[in-house]
Amino acid sequence: MVTLNIPTINDDPLDFDKLFALWNQANDDFLDVNVNFSRCYFLRQNAVAFLGGLAHLIQSRYGTVTFNWNSLQDRIRTNLEQNGFMAIFGHAGGPWTGNSIPYREDAIEDKDNLIDYLKTKWLGRGWVHVSDRLRNEIVGRVWEIYANAFEHGESAIGIFSCGQHYPAHHELKLTVVDFGVGIPSNVRLFFRDDPRSRFLSAASCLKWAFESGTTTKPNGTSRGMGLGFCENKQGQT
Amino acid sequence: MKVDVFKVTGENCITLEDGHKIFDMIHPELSAGRVVELDFENVKIFASPFFNSAIGRLLKDFKSEDLNRLLKITNLTPTGMSVLKRVIENAKEYYSNPEMRKAVDDVLLEQSQNL
Repeated sequence: MVTLNIPTINDDPLDFDKLFALWNQANDDFLDVNVNFSRCYFLRQNAVAFLGGLAHLIQSRYGTVTFNWNSLQDRIRTNLEQNGFMAIFGHAGGPWTGNSIPYREDAIEDKDNLIDYLKTKWLGRGWVHVSDRLRNEIVGRVWEIYANAFEHGESAIGIFSCGQHYPAHHELKLTVVDFGVGIPSNVRLFFRDDPRSRFLSAASCLKWAFESGTTTKPNGTSRGMGLGFCENKQGQT
Repeated sequence: MKVDVFKVTGENCITLEDGHKIFDMIHPELSAGRVVELDFENVKIFASPFFNSAIGRLLKDFKSEDLNRLLKITNLTPTGMSVLKRVIENAKEYYSNPEMRKAVDDVLLEQSQNL
């Protein structure tokens, strides 16, 4: 039995290290994992999406996951009920409409369903005032992220999303997580004929991937716009 | 031939699969030298995978001046047009410069050696 003690998780770089540490703890076959929240006092939407995916990853590797719901702080329990996370993992209660953008799991690329999620449940709640044209443009850009994850990610367990509105900070967040091979791995595979490729750092692989016009897809179709679009429009990814 | 894109894809032109459908419809017509109109009336959301597979890869078989003559794009929103323009620029570069990938390869390796 492995116990995952979920810490307080925000969305600073160090918080992503915490997520990877959790992944490292659970990165094996046939694990029985108990998830404990007693040391967690804040859980951002990125951690919610990640934990959902991690639970499915463990299950896909013949393990079991038990969420210790009684260890939740009240505020986090409310959030996980509201965004539907607890209901999806078998706990009664929720979801309901609040400041959460629902937690969701997508095993396949269901474009109309996902576009509806982005248009109505993320941007369509009256939290941001944008024209129809701008809304459609934002949705198209975010779709590039989903399309990239579905096409290149090779995430056998699918894609996981969750969002949150933070009215006090005027922030509207959305996190998209896949548990696929990762961009650096795809880039190294693409350059596999070059013996130097195995020395490529993850940082330079990522930099290459975000150059407009680069793609790891085989010959035949010009590609490689998606990630470049995301970076150019948002300033950061 | 006129293609009502909305009837094929609905209001979201965003996936490779939908792009393939359009490509399969228009490629034979263009190959025969016949004019094709793609009418994007009522289509609202656009993303690069669609345009890459529907139009970008036409640059592999057709010169851009021939496509300009044979392929008419109508009722495309400004957002859709900006995505399409970037896809076409990218496709032109990709198909006109077989050394591009090698050049990018060299850049990447240079980066890694400088780290």
